[in-house]
Amino acid sequence: MNPPACLAAAPALTHNTLVVAAGVAAVGCAAGVVGSLSLLRKRPLIGDAAAHTTLVGVAGAFLLTGRRDLPTLLTGALVAAVAGLAAVVLVRRFTRTRDDAATAIVIGVGFGLGIALLSGITARGLPGSAGLEQFLLGHTAALTARDAVVLAVVSAAAVAVVLLGLKEATLVAFDAAFAAATGWPVGWIDQVLVTLVAVMVVVGLPAAGAVLVTALVVIPPVAARQWTDRVPTLLLLGGTFGLVAAVTGVAVSAVVPRMPTGPLVVLAAAAICIVSLVIAPRRGWLARRRRQITLEPPRA
Amino acid sequence: MPTLQSRLPGPPPREADVADAGKFVPPVVEFHDVTVAYGGRPVLWNVDLTIAEPCLFGIIGPNGAGKSTLLKSGLGLVPLVHGTARFWGRPLAEVRGRVGYVPQRETVDWDFPVSVMDVVLMGTYGRLGWFRRPGGRERSLARECLDRVGLIDVADRQIGRLSGGQQQRVFVARALAQEADIYFLDEPMAGVDARSQEQIFGVLAGLRSEGRLVVVVHHDLRTAAAWFDRVALIDMRLVATGPTAEVLTPANLRRTYAGQVDLLEEIGQAVAARGRTT
Amino acid sequence: MVFGRSKAAVLVAVAAVAGGCGPTAERAPAKSQAVRPRVVATTTVVADLVRQVGGDRVTVDCLMAAGIDPHSYKATPRDADRLAAADLVVASGLHLEGKLAELLNRLGRRVPVVAVADTLPKDRLLPVATDLYDPHVWFDAALWSGCVPVVVEALAALDPPHADEYRGRGAAHAAALVALDGELEARIASIPDGGRVLVTAHDAFQYFGRAYGIEVVGVQGTSTESEAGLGEINRLVDMLVERKIPAVFVETSVSDRNVAALVEGAAARGHVVRLGGRLYSDSLGETGGGGDTLAGALRANVEAIVAGLTEKTTADADPAEQAPRPAAAGG
Repeated sequence: MNPPACLAAAPALTHNTLVVAAGVAAVGCAAGVVGSLSLLRKRPLIGDAAAHTTLVGVAGAFLLTGRRDLPTLLTGALVAAVAGLAAVVLVRRFTRTRDDAATAIVIGVGFGLGIALLSGITARGLPGSAGLEQFLLGHTAALTARDAVVLAVVSAAAVAVVLLGLKEATLVAFDAAFAAATGWPVGWIDQVLVTLVAVMVVVGLPAAGAVLVTALVVIPPVAARQWTDRVPTLLLLGGTFGLVAAVTGVAVSAVVPRMPTGPLVVLAAAAICIVSLVIAPRRGWLARRRRQITLEPPRA
Repeated sequence: MPTLQSRLPGPPPREADVADAGKFVPPVVEFHDVTVAYGGRPVLWNVDLTIAEPCLFGIIGPNGAGKSTLLKSGLGLVPLVHGTARFWGRPLAEVRGRVGYVPQRETVDWDFPVSVMDVVLMGTYGRLGWFRRPGGRERSLARECLDRVGLIDVADRQIGRLSGGQQQRVFVARALAQEADIYFLDEPMAGVDARSQEQIFGVLAGLRSEGRLVVVVHHDLRTAAAWFDRVALIDMRLVATGPTAEVLTPANLRRTYAGQVDLLEEIGQAVAARGRTT
Repeated sequence: MVFGRSKAAVLVAVAAVAGGCGPTAERAPAKSQAVRPRVVATTTVVADLVRQVGGDRVTVDCLMAAGIDPHSYKATPRDADRLAAADLVVASGLHLEGKLAELLNRLGRRVPVVAVADTLPKDRLLPVATDLYDPHVWFDAALWSGCVPVVVEALAALDPPHADEYRGRGAAHAAALVALDGELEARIASIPDGGRVLVTAHDAFQYFGRAYGIEVVGVQGTSTESEAGLGEINRLVDMLVERKIPAVFVETSVSDRNVAALVEGAAARGHVVRLGGRLYSDSLGETGGGGDTLAGALRANVEAIVAGLTEKTTADADPAEQAPRPAAAGG
């Protein structure tokens, strides 16, 4: 697929750039949408727990199947992420630890186990094991067209699920007691949300790597929250900011030499967030300062 | 006064309605031998309580007596160590659409990005079912409910920008939108200004006139004496239940609220005053 | 955060071993008198060198198996034990074994540690930064032969009765390497002018390129630890298309994910680039395959490169998977 002639005039719009941009944009958008929901549900740490247990899945999938293609490894990562999130619930239930402490435990143990497995695989030199460690920091620039298609399909499916069940998810996020009392299966709805976050984290692994992928799920929604007081708009903005951050990161890394793409995407998202926190009307820092100033009592 | 149900076209009748078609079955809530414990500590013990016929029913008792817990156990929000709660002789799961709920206000996040209208629409979700969006019918129902509680002017406001009384009325409106036959309200008057309290009471009285049962957990004995037709006194156990005047006697109140003598005098007067006006 | 954790892991491992290391130092001299000296080499390339010089007189144990990437290899406590129990440790040097530096430093106090490439004259090395040199010196057979003397001396010091034998074998091997050097140069020269460009996953082949007259381009830098940026990928695709390079090569010890992206990018612009085969770069091949000695690996690499770049339409030559070749003279 050659880019059309007018676009080809731009210096950096090569096939590789378009493929990477398409894949990362899909992930950024979907992560922003799903992350907005989990922000509403006040569980930002589940993205972190999922991200840090994915390495165990990547290493495990390779050990079990000996294959290194993206769908196999990502399936392993997903299984591990879901297991990690289930472990958080189990730790909370059986040891009476708080939610954030249980999450931190799973993050530490999961990540340690993942690193240990990866190092073990590298040390044993199993054929084809080179490059598994790229899942730590991402290998965005090396996305192929097939990878991008996988990312795009999964991202679209995740967004579709969110849109389908938006009213149920909003109800549960806002007033879980009322939802339960009126017969909604709050536990199952929560589980679907948690699984969606795990899926987005896993799908974001090639784009940003295990260490940074949580950022894709957390930062754009926080930025979006500053601009709106309505749920549909929040999701739209979350997805848009994620997409813009992705495209910006890819564009900068295509033009500036020796810049890794994944971290640049995260930095772009962070920039959008900081700007939002400062200049957003009503919720932004500047706006609140202006309100404070105008509320000072008149001097006698 | 015509009921909401009779004025608006509703969803197809459910099995429960069809079975009782042709006769008006008064609402019945039965708590049988209910025991609830938190971490080994009993909170409710052997409570047997039947609430029948349309009325404004108050659940009264001191703090920590288990009043909210009784409500929540009926709704399946806290697990029962022992006992059952039945609605029209059936478990809650079978008649969910006919039981409405107004929870305590503190459990809500007021910063959540929803408007007043969005919250009231949530009352209609139970009937809409999975994946269907609220449509024109739900919106006009919601607007009616908002009108009934006097909030139609702030329908588009984000809920954090309301006063305490207004916030409480939003949740009452949401419950109205459920079009239920039995309503459970948990401390609806807590932290609400007097004017809003009167307004809410008016709505609840209206529900009673429509033939519904309204069960309210309430903390203020004075207004309880004035507002409720029947009450139950709870202090981990059921102390007494029946018409307000019969239950809120000095003896019962001393057993429940040991040591608050002045209050008892005031209550006695309020009860007597009500007895004179009815 | 990650690299901090792995450093900590190595430090803990080293501390644990150092704690139990004392007694073995006293045992070491007694060992070498009774049985064959035990040499532990870090990489397969270095192990091959020691075997060629030592022959049957020494037992050579290799720390990293075939296919392992020495740039990122982290030692396990078992590795530390093996190294500490050796009579001699031979490493490649010039920071090739990037994550083993601290362990080797501490070992140096109890066990003789020799880094063969460190002894080469600096003016024959390729600098990467101030005081930092490209460590892939074995790709220049003639340059690598300069590492033979230090191995000979180390073995002679360890096992004086057989010193002459080591010197003899060393001289023979060095001569063979020089002969191989000429052979490889001739083979590369057979590639038509303008087509002598070697594109691989990482920059391991600079010495190869300098020695045998072929231009070398790596997607990642000299260490596999750095991540390729999109700019690099685009630049390389441009180069592949403009200069009509027919093949790119993957390596046995490095991920070929980047290379796949290059092939696809070039294909999108109408230029078909073949995968020219899997080269031995930081590691030799499995024992028993044709690439288990340095000479075998270099010959296999050159054949793959020649085949790939002279646009023959045969199936991809893949040295790592071919049946064992007949042993060449002087190997």
